[in-house]
Amino acid sequence: MKFSLTRQAIMLAVLALLPAAGEAIYFRDKISWRSPIPPSESVNADQARAWGQNAIWVDARPDEEFAQDHVPGALSLNEDRWNELLPEFLAAWSPGKKVIVYCSSLSCNASREVARRLRKEAQLPDVFVLEGGWEAWLKQK
Amino acid sequence: MSEQVTSVPSTISVQPSARPQFLWRIVDVIVAGIFIYAGVLKMVDPVQFANDIDNYKILPWPISVALAFYLPWLEIFCGLALIVRYFYRGALSILMALILVFTLATTAAKVRGLDITCGCFGHASQHWSFPAHLMTNLAIIAALVVLWVSNRLTKSLQGRRSAWGS
Amino acid sequence: MKTPIVAFALSIIISLSARAELKWEQTTIELHPTAADKQAVGHFKYQNSGKTPVHFKSVHASCGCTTAQTQKDEVPPGDKGEITATFNIGDRTGTQIKTVTVETDEAANQKTVLTLKTVIPQQLEINPTFLFWKQGDKPDQKTITVKVGKEFTVKHLKVTSSSPDFQTKVEEKGNGEFQIDVQPQETKNLIASTLTIQPDDSQKVFYATARITNAPTVQ
Repeated sequence: MKFSLTRQAIMLAVLALLPAAGEAIYFRDKISWRSPIPPSESVNADQARAWGQNAIWVDARPDEEFAQDHVPGALSLNEDRWNELLPEFLAAWSPGKKVIVYCSSLSCNASREVARRLRKEAQLPDVFVLEGGWEAWLKQK
Repeated sequence: MSEQVTSVPSTISVQPSARPQFLWRIVDVIVAGIFIYAGVLKMVDPVQFANDIDNYKILPWPISVALAFYLPWLEIFCGLALIVRYFYRGALSILMALILVFTLATTAAKVRGLDITCGCFGHASQHWSFPAHLMTNLAIIAALVVLWVSNRLTKSLQGRRSAWGS
Repeated sequence: MKTPIVAFALSIIISLSARAELKWEQTTIELHPTAADKQAVGHFKYQNSGKTPVHFKSVHASCGCTTAQTQKDEVPPGDKGEITATFNIGDRTGTQIKTVTVETDEAANQKTVLTLKTVIPQQLEINPTFLFWKQGDKPDQKTITVKVGKEFTVKHLKVTSSSPDFQTKVEEKGNGEFQIDVQPQETKNLIASTLTIQPDDSQKVFYATARITNAPTVQ
């Protein structure tokens, strides 16, 4: 059975789709199709709100942006003044609280960095990055 | 697409460019092995591969995720096709297209000034320099071209022989 | 079938490299500031090697901590200049990669990404920087591990607690590693302390927090 070159290529391309789809299903909890942040480390605005009083909101943006406007009750914690702001944040934290870190847009890295440092240096559990950032919060309002 | 493998000793050969089939089979297996190895390395950690694709800043994230799941399997299947000699030419052209596109993407990233630390061997090759990546890719392209040409020559050789009725 | 693909590929490579009027000396700069530096500055030098003037449409840094200054908005042919990228280190650690995206009105190469890679020397690596005891827990001793950065030598670590309710003890483990043992007097009250960690007589100090927290809230 001789196939043309295009036929062969198409058959191989289609064949590869099967295990690829299987893998996508297998890894569905480890990777999010919406953003590079792993699903275990991010949360969307609705879920975050549902946590109510159990959540602590952390604003990872620079001081000027925080001063202009921020999530009500959020604490400022950024890398410019980490050493100064961290103890204030830790004073508000207690075991069982869920930490939600946000910054100003999907492409901004500050919230991921602050979340990473809270997990790695302060060894806090339940630290999440807000999907969609500050903009997602504004949309909800 | 099975073929009659006929060894043509170069001393009695009518076509001076025909060579023993098994030499090309070795090249087949080596090239196939490289792609299968590269494919498996990327297949076992699709999260890392998706992030590596995203670093090129050419494609949107969801596409990077889709390719991260799909491309390694395509490499593996095409590599296997080279070894078992089924869908051979189709596999060869897909692999050629893959490595050409990949080489272009790496060069484009370098021109744009992005710090790309990953290559076609997944995260394992992240410490290679750009020239090392380029040289490896060009060598693989060369091997694929050579296999293609040899395959075409063999086909035309067999075609002519059957025409002579030998 | 091969030829058109090869031609296509070649044309892309040629168009990518040719006709870029603004030639950059480097698009990636690696900086190694000292531990005392507050800023790291990268000078991205360029020259207009084309025949038409190049106009900067936008110069945009990837984060608020990095500012980028162009000396001029319009670069006449043959002229040289630089974009100065200033990265405010703040309290950041490790290797920080910040980018500046430059948009021009060039025909072929409109967007260039300038990368500033800053390797911030880490004199001490403190793990963890936060110790806590729940109210009512046993006031057990907990440990902080301090590792000295490879390029540094530290003979002695001085640890002071801002509150006398927390006792600290420093042990040298050798091989650039220290151990700080922290113990609260009691866990009845919600007390806290900032631990100031000073390597030798260094001006730069490091911090850790110890506190008694509320018991977990009911979910």
